[in-house]
Amino acid sequence: MANKLTVGLAQIDCTLGAVEGNLQKHLSWIEKAREQGVELLLFPELSITGYRLLHLTSRVSCRIDESEIIRRLAEASGEMAVVVGLVEEGGQGVLYNSAVMLRAGQVVHVHRKLYLPTYGIFQEGRFFGPGQRLDLAPIAGEKLGLLICEDLWHPQLAQRLAADGGKVLGVLSAGPGRVGSGATLESQEIWECITRSTAVVNTSWLLYCNRVGWEEGSFYAGGSHVVRPGGQILCRAANFQEDLLVATLDLREVDRLRWRLPLLRAERADIEGPG
Amino acid sequence: MNETKYWIRDRLGLNAALAETVLTGFIGDAVETTRSKGVVVGLSGGVDSALAAALAARALEPSRVHAFLLPYRTSNPDSISDAEVVAKAFDLVTTTIDISPMVDLYFENLAEGDIDKVRLGNKMARERMSILFDQAKKLGCLVLGTSNKTEILLGYSTIFGDNASSINPLGDLYKQQVWQLAHHLGVPQEVVGKKPSADLWPGQTDEGELGFDYTSADEVLCLMFDLGLSPSEVVDQGYAASVVDRIAAMEERNRFKRRLMLIARLSDSAINLDREIPRD
Repeated sequence: MANKLTVGLAQIDCTLGAVEGNLQKHLSWIEKAREQGVELLLFPELSITGYRLLHLTSRVSCRIDESEIIRRLAEASGEMAVVVGLVEEGGQGVLYNSAVMLRAGQVVHVHRKLYLPTYGIFQEGRFFGPGQRLDLAPIAGEKLGLLICEDLWHPQLAQRLAADGGKVLGVLSAGPGRVGSGATLESQEIWECITRSTAVVNTSWLLYCNRVGWEEGSFYAGGSHVVRPGGQILCRAANFQEDLLVATLDLREVDRLRWRLPLLRAERADIEGPG
Repeated sequence: MNETKYWIRDRLGLNAALAETVLTGFIGDAVETTRSKGVVVGLSGGVDSALAAALAARALEPSRVHAFLLPYRTSNPDSISDAEVVAKAFDLVTTTIDISPMVDLYFENLAEGDIDKVRLGNKMARERMSILFDQAKKLGCLVLGTSNKTEILLGYSTIFGDNASSINPLGDLYKQQVWQLAHHLGVPQEVVGKKPSADLWPGQTDEGELGFDYTSADEVLCLMFDLGLSPSEVVDQGYAASVVDRIAAMEERNRFKRRLMLIARLSDSAINLDREIPRD
């Protein structure tokens, strides 16, 4: 089906530091997604290792070209594009919080998280180095942009990906939940504000894959969702439980919207003033 | 009401249904991850321990929640009957252990004459926690903490006594959020509505001893701790300077109570600083 893409968001719980157990879960969810015809499957941020690693970070890292874990995932991917989160050993003794895309036995794309939150409860900058590059990945004859969690809070990244032809933006997240007085989780309200506005101003599909479960007193609520290029939420996974959210996207919807609403075409880099 | 006060009161509101989902999840996950059989909790007859027990009873089977009543000879009889009401409401089996013999024997042997009431209260709090950890060991359970955020920030607790625990579901809830959630979970009204007291000596009430009410304390602490206002900026919002100063001083003086042991660092692998190994 040309111009259609069936995506899956694997909203899983990951056990901190338990790489083998997490890997087994990935392999079984890849099979589950395959049964549903998924062509692009996203897992959450640091899905192979768990998120809040602190001094465990270096004990669960792997080299992309040598990792047995990556080999097994790549082998399992078949014709599906599978994106997982893990700790990548780069050269020069630097560890990265990376999203790795696998297909047909190969690593087809790596995104190293560009913005590492190091404030409040977040300590990523102590253990990871920031990535230096932004690239698009091929998907279904079109282009996919991948970002990790905090990256989405820096809107120029999504804008650059969309401006360069990205039609789908995939976001891997481990966003801790917060409860306030409102009807929905405070954390979810903020995330949906950002995912929806990112989709709207970039006229792109947006896939937000968040995890569930507990780590060190922090909970992850899930609520993974797919946002249409117009900003409406197409579908949303359950809260507080593992869930595989599957949706079929019409990639032509992006073209039709961009012709009608030419925000990206109108973008200007030549405006003088501050910044 | 000025804008900040309006805003802070909204912030101290709580979606109780969501909080229940999250906090029962927390207890269930901790018990499962540590492969524990359940939890032990000391029921004082007050709202904090009632809420902790109620959450545990929802998270686990009530048979996996072991409730202990640990009275001292001067304890208010109402504390015992209120604890029993709570246990009944959540279908919990209780065990009563009178702590008077061990506490009294300790001070008798010291033969120091009159013991000041704070030392006696601290001893009682630690005796209780000592029993809860012993029972937890016997039963293969975790000790459920019952300290709320207001109390932890003020340091209004006994270090290694009531502030100790294996897991604490209430530590990020201000007192008025505890009331809201307790009400939502069906903690009996006579417990939610009564004046908070540590019941360490006859007639003691928290608000009487602290010199301010919990509603003000929650708001002042939220402005200072959560939102980063300085004490003088809090006073500018219309709170009494005497209350704000007292709260700020308590928070600073008692900060040591919310730290794990302070370890002198010599090597490059000091525990808690250079090697922070998280738990799932």
